[in-house]
Amino acid sequence: MAVPSVPAATPGAAVPAIETVHLKKYYGRSRGIEDISLRVEQGEIFGFIGPNGAGKSTTIRTLLNFIFPTAGSARVLGHDIVTESREIREKVGYLPGETGYYDELTVDQLVDYTARFYSTDCRRRGAELVDILEIDRKKPIHSLSLGNKRKVGIVLALMHRPRLLILDEPTAGLDPLMQTRLFDVLREENERGTTIFFSSHVLSEVQKLCHRVAIIKEGLILKVEEVERLRESRLRKVRITFRDERQAVVDLPGAVEQERDGRSVRLLYGGDINDLVRHLAGRELESLWVEEPTLEEVFLHYYEAGGRTGEGSASGRAAAVSTARSGKEER
Amino acid sequence: MNIFLRELRTGRRSVLVWALVIAGLNVLIMAVYPSFAADAARLEELVAMYPEGFAKAFGLDRMSLADPLAFYATEGYFMVVLFGGIYAAILGASILAKEEDEKTIEYLLALPVTRNEVLTGKVLAVVANLALFNLIVAVVTCLSFVGFVTRDYSTATLLLLLAAPFLLHLTFAALCFFLSLFWTRRRAAYSISIGLVVGTYFLNVIALLTDDLRWLGWLSPFKYVDAADIISKQSLDGLYVFILLTAGAVAVGATYLLYGRRDITV
Repeated sequence: MAVPSVPAATPGAAVPAIETVHLKKYYGRSRGIEDISLRVEQGEIFGFIGPNGAGKSTTIRTLLNFIFPTAGSARVLGHDIVTESREIREKVGYLPGETGYYDELTVDQLVDYTARFYSTDCRRRGAELVDILEIDRKKPIHSLSLGNKRKVGIVLALMHRPRLLILDEPTAGLDPLMQTRLFDVLREENERGTTIFFSSHVLSEVQKLCHRVAIIKEGLILKVEEVERLRESRLRKVRITFRDERQAVVDLPGAVEQERDGRSVRLLYGGDINDLVRHLAGRELESLWVEEPTLEEVFLHYYEAGGRTGEGSASGRAAAVSTARSGKEER
Repeated sequence: MNIFLRELRTGRRSVLVWALVIAGLNVLIMAVYPSFAADAARLEELVAMYPEGFAKAFGLDRMSLADPLAFYATEGYFMVVLFGGIYAAILGASILAKEEDEKTIEYLLALPVTRNEVLTGKVLAVVANLALFNLIVAVVTCLSFVGFVTRDYSTATLLLLLAAPFLLHLTFAALCFFLSLFWTRRRAAYSISIGLVVGTYFLNVIALLTDDLRWLGWLSPFKYVDAADIISKQSLDGLYVFILLTAGAVAVGATYLLYGRRDITV
């Protein structure tokens, strides 16, 4: 007897954690986001980077249905963001960019109150996280510093063991030590299978943690890229002052956007740093700076460099999304 | 349920303070009553010396101050409706607006609750607080009647005078709940709601004083709980009760509709 064949559920066919289709949001006449098509697979750590005002928070708030999309649609863990928002919030942990909590409650009371809303018992995990992040549990919320409030937010976002974590600028206000500890916690959550979607305007921070990143600017996705590839093509900002003005030129394939000013040369360098050092070896230098470019400079590079990074149209962007994805699946 | 209980807890102190202050004032007023009533004739002379408008505004053209219910209506009742109205308005205006004003709304809406559940928790908490407020005032006022009043009075009518403010308070709370959708800053919500209560109070007084403007009274919730009316009819007017409750229900219904579609940004 023939058994009706059901396509086997492969990991690749799993419901995406987040899928947005031409998502658009205008507040009256001012732009929130223009056209965001994204697909975040379950199990990923996905960075969402862009300058302030690019539309990061708008995208996140739309996903959680605080605001309604002007056009387009989105699903989170298979649920529609508008009609099934409650189901989404049962399964999602959210750390707001800037938020208040009930000031008069103590940390313990707030954790306890929050726990009551979830169907699973999550008080123990809450208490555990309070310890890991070293928060004084007896203190009322209003007496906490900004960084400590942020830690409380992290506890509240994580305590119910969400399948997807949405973090809006999670490291803002945290000292480097706490940032490291937060990343440890996030990695641990991720190993347990939690998908993590987080926004930031600091590229280096995103690179430490993420598998893939999307770069957003002015409400549009510029590029979706695997962090490995970003790293390979890592740009450096180089500034060289030569002794002799006649020698002040850098002629290397990895050097882009060269700018000369008397004895000084500024350039973005994407090649092997050793090649640069060897190239300069024979000449007298006065000084040499090598720094990580700002996010803005990376954006500009992607804007202007053309080729594989220069998509300008919506279809080009969508293609970039799918290329990045299929690249991942092939592995 | 969680939201309801939390609102009860946070609103506890203010409902007790408002209720005990107003109930206490009622006790003081009724404590004075026996000495007034002892000299009823002189009292009537005093009222006759009041400006006509004053007597009319308090319904003294329709009842006598020597009557305990009329005395209460003039001296105590108006405080319960007016100050209680202000309490109700502030409560209704702030219970939702405070979440946006204090930026706790993102925290709240990220929890697995629907917006309707949030609204329901809040509405029930307002109703419970107003019920508690009126219950405290009613019990204390009844006790002070029992303690201080030796003349005959209709207990049924007294109970009506104690129940009517509850309806008024519900209506004000509902109207301000709705208005707070448009003024999410808490301070603005306070001003608007107090303005609404005091404004409609004087609207009713003007309507009572000016025959040409009598129709204005229909716009004031206070018209529907006028003490002199209740005492003379010994009942609440069914139409008036209907108008108050309908206005409140429409305001709350509209709030559900609008809040469900609202963009919440902080």
